[in-house]
Amino acid sequence: MKPFLHLFAILISCFALGGGIAHAQTAAAAAAPLPGNSVYQFSPVMTDQDGRHFALADKRGKPVLVSMFYNSCQFVCPMLIDTLRDTEAALNQEQRKNLSVLLVTFDPARDDVATLKGIATKRDLDLTHWTLARTDAASVRKIAAVLGIQYRRLPNGDYNHTTALILLDAEGRIAGSTAKLGEVDADFVKLIKEQGQP
Amino acid sequence: MKPRCAISRWTWVLACCAGALAPIGNCAAAERAPAYIAIPSGSFASTLSNPSDNNSPVRVERFALRETPVTNGEFLSFVNAHPEWRRDRIPATFADASYLHHWASPSTPGPGQDDRPVISVSWFAAQAYCEAEQARLPTWYEWEYVAAASKTSPDARRDASWRAEILRWYGRTSEAPPATVGGTANFYGVKNMHGLVWEWVDDFNALLISADSRNQGDPDKLKFCGAGAISLQDRENYAVLMRVALLSSLQGADTTNNLGFRCARTLPDAK
Amino acid sequence: MKRVKLVRNIWMKAAALVGLVMCVQTSMAAAQSPAKLKGDFGPPQGEPIHAVLTSPPNVPPAIHRKYPAKVIVDLEVVEKEMAISEGVKYMFWTFGGTVPGSFIRVRQGDTVEFHLKNNPNNKMPHNIDLHGVTGPGGGAASSFTAPGHESQFTFKALNEGIYVYHCATAPVGMHIANGMYGLILVEPPEGLSPVDHEYYVMQGDFYTSGKYREKGVQPFDMDKAIDERPTYVLFNGAEGSLTGDKALTAKTDEKIRLFVGNGGPNLVSSFHVIGAIFDKVRYEGGTHFQENVQTTLIPSGGAVMVEYKTKVPGSYVLVDHSIFRAFNKGALAIMKVDGPMKKDIYSGKELDSVYLGDRAQPNMASVSKATQAAASGTLTLQDQINAGRELFAGTCSVCHQANGAGLPGVFPPLAQSDFLNSDLHRAVGIPLHGLSGKVTVNGKEYESVMPPMSQLNDDEIANILTYVLNSWDNKGGRVDAAEVKAERARTVPAPAAGH
Repeated sequence: MKPFLHLFAILISCFALGGGIAHAQTAAAAAAPLPGNSVYQFSPVMTDQDGRHFALADKRGKPVLVSMFYNSCQFVCPMLIDTLRDTEAALNQEQRKNLSVLLVTFDPARDDVATLKGIATKRDLDLTHWTLARTDAASVRKIAAVLGIQYRRLPNGDYNHTTALILLDAEGRIAGSTAKLGEVDADFVKLIKEQGQP
Repeated sequence: MKPRCAISRWTWVLACCAGALAPIGNCAAAERAPAYIAIPSGSFASTLSNPSDNNSPVRVERFALRETPVTNGEFLSFVNAHPEWRRDRIPATFADASYLHHWASPSTPGPGQDDRPVISVSWFAAQAYCEAEQARLPTWYEWEYVAAASKTSPDARRDASWRAEILRWYGRTSEAPPATVGGTANFYGVKNMHGLVWEWVDDFNALLISADSRNQGDPDKLKFCGAGAISLQDRENYAVLMRVALLSSLQGADTTNNLGFRCARTLPDAK
Repeated sequence: MKRVKLVRNIWMKAAALVGLVMCVQTSMAAAQSPAKLKGDFGPPQGEPIHAVLTSPPNVPPAIHRKYPAKVIVDLEVVEKEMAISEGVKYMFWTFGGTVPGSFIRVRQGDTVEFHLKNNPNNKMPHNIDLHGVTGPGGGAASSFTAPGHESQFTFKALNEGIYVYHCATAPVGMHIANGMYGLILVEPPEGLSPVDHEYYVMQGDFYTSGKYREKGVQPFDMDKAIDERPTYVLFNGAEGSLTGDKALTAKTDEKIRLFVGNGGPNLVSSFHVIGAIFDKVRYEGGTHFQENVQTTLIPSGGAVMVEYKTKVPGSYVLVDHSIFRAFNKGALAIMKVDGPMKKDIYSGKELDSVYLGDRAQPNMASVSKATQAAASGTLTLQDQINAGRELFAGTCSVCHQANGAGLPGVFPPLAQSDFLNSDLHRAVGIPLHGLSGKVTVNGKEYESVMPPMSQLNDDEIANILTYVLNSWDNKGGRVDAAEVKAERARTVPAPAAGH
């Protein structure tokens, strides 16, 4: 009996060591199965502005407005936060409560927890449902790939990047996106409202 | 480096008896360690200009690159060890419907495929494979740096006949499966950088050229946050332009028939 | 005073307020119904239509629809090796498997849902720029497609005309040079005028490492393309694509419309149809047209519509009139027109007579003088000799030579000819009736055929013979027109010599 149990344990750990993704999968498999095209199939460990660790898949359960930014970005990123806020403002109280906003930084090397907290305070973000998060550089590349965002680090530390506001449904599937900045995209708002329907 | 092989002899025997091929497969693969070639550091002028840096040469730090692209045989070992990457199990987030479609079955590449480069793999799959080998995908600059070499020169990009030879590959049909890996090594000792398959790079989604490549210098700065789309230097080096064009047309889950990959490793500093 | 001013002020303010409100209302109304774009006939109506695409040189049928519709276009990019010339193969990148690519035909105001598919066996990503699209890149920005993938974008065809489409993926020049171009026709809402045949022809320049017609699989040559030194300049992607049994066909008295594009990548075309004149040319494919045109310029990345009526049967050669391209690089196509001859318009070859250059025109002065003199009865021997000399030069000297020496073994001499001098009577019969069979002149045998000089009249023959008799030491004498007339009246066959 025992040798076989021993073997079984070894086999399990072999598979587990084989890839972080497998690990994430077994963890996520605890809930109902994730749809194949859910973004949460990739669920790295992330840290928020208050230093708390969480897995990306923890966001599952409510629609999420997600985008990517970085602190030193003088040009587009402040506009991004404004646009997110204005988009939120176009919803009613109930819909707002049912939506989380997640901003992931391109620049984990410079955007540490303290920096993220500083942004949250300065821009007066409602942290009951807004999260600013950082993760390791390899995971940043994967999150961008999964969301379809392009970015490129420049030698001076700045980033070129495309900008999109992406709406994930409660199961993490991409329901829509908009690249409109500085104004509220009416069609996108409509989409958010539809996602919010029970 | 090879934790999976640090298993007691007893469990080895049991693993065999239980018919568990995976650990053996992994260890066997680890035994036949793939060849990684050390590439010395250097600077070179990239086709992707650095507008914020006045298009100055790019520095590539010393790193190791796989001698040949990953083959179907090697990828099979990986898929056996990590069955979540089988084509019948992989989530749509990580690969499209054409993933490994050329394999005879989800767990067998088929006859004669073992030494051919694996194709129809997504970026996510390539990443996972490299991670499993304690490696990563090369960056675009690393790839371009090694690809600039011919057999005898580290930078043959000004050599018209070398460029013509590369262009010839684009002039051939691609219905047959690609040829087996191997052949003549370039200046660095690396093989098949040209003429076999396109290859993924780690920062494929950093190739911020606009989908309409004629918009060079288009001042749509809002789209790319500040610097606009990157410009392509050396527009006569069509071979490189076509690689950039292909990679920038893809998403991370996309696969295509002529696209494979090889892995790279960061090396500790020489000094 | 103050009260009047106050009232006036109030009225002015009220008027201003009313004016302001009206302004705001009209601007709001304007904002709600923006000025209609030209060529926008409103949203699509009816069921979506799948566009019929055709391979060159054929054109989809004319559209008879009277309303804007949603038209779905499915176009696949295929990279394939085909013959560019006899025994010469080239790797073409094609829209729809042909060079030029499939012909697309829609109506102005249509909403086109464009699906671009990239065959999984292709190596390259591709996209499409349609010159008829109003939008970034002509669609190129929205159709960048990797092999094994499909892109979709939608546009409204606001402008009517004949437009080029082509691939715009880096490196653009190479994609176009490999054949990635075609035409899209956006018909005006009332359609084009009816014709008997519509054909699709597109010129392109091609660059291969090997020389023109060098056999084997030829790769693309980048340096030649950059230097604009084409190896081939072709209609419809191959030598012979529109010649022989693949020639365009028509009958006489038919109206022809050609949609002619120029994909380039580099050269401008001087398009001409040998033997035809274009009745109507919509130059540059625009709205206005020119008439009675021999050769029209088609810019690279441009197109024209030409119309002409076939009248006379024969082979009409389409060329780029930068003529070395037609005969040394392949820019040649044929339209074969069948039907009855129309001699009044074009007779074909009527006469093949000898042309003597500056000797061809006899000095008509002496001939005229002789004619007048004969009419008034004052014809002298010298008049006859003078006239005869000119007439001899124009007619007889070709064979018998200006000095009467003839051609040894072929044409007998007239100078000191015993044959001539022995029988004057016989001599008169020869220009009239001709001479064939063996003759012996001055001891040499001749067996040739002299045809009857039926174009000469009696006076002329008399004058010629008189000249001959009085030249080159011949025995002299005189022949008058009456004698010639009498001889002519005799229905004796050509005097058989020597029997």
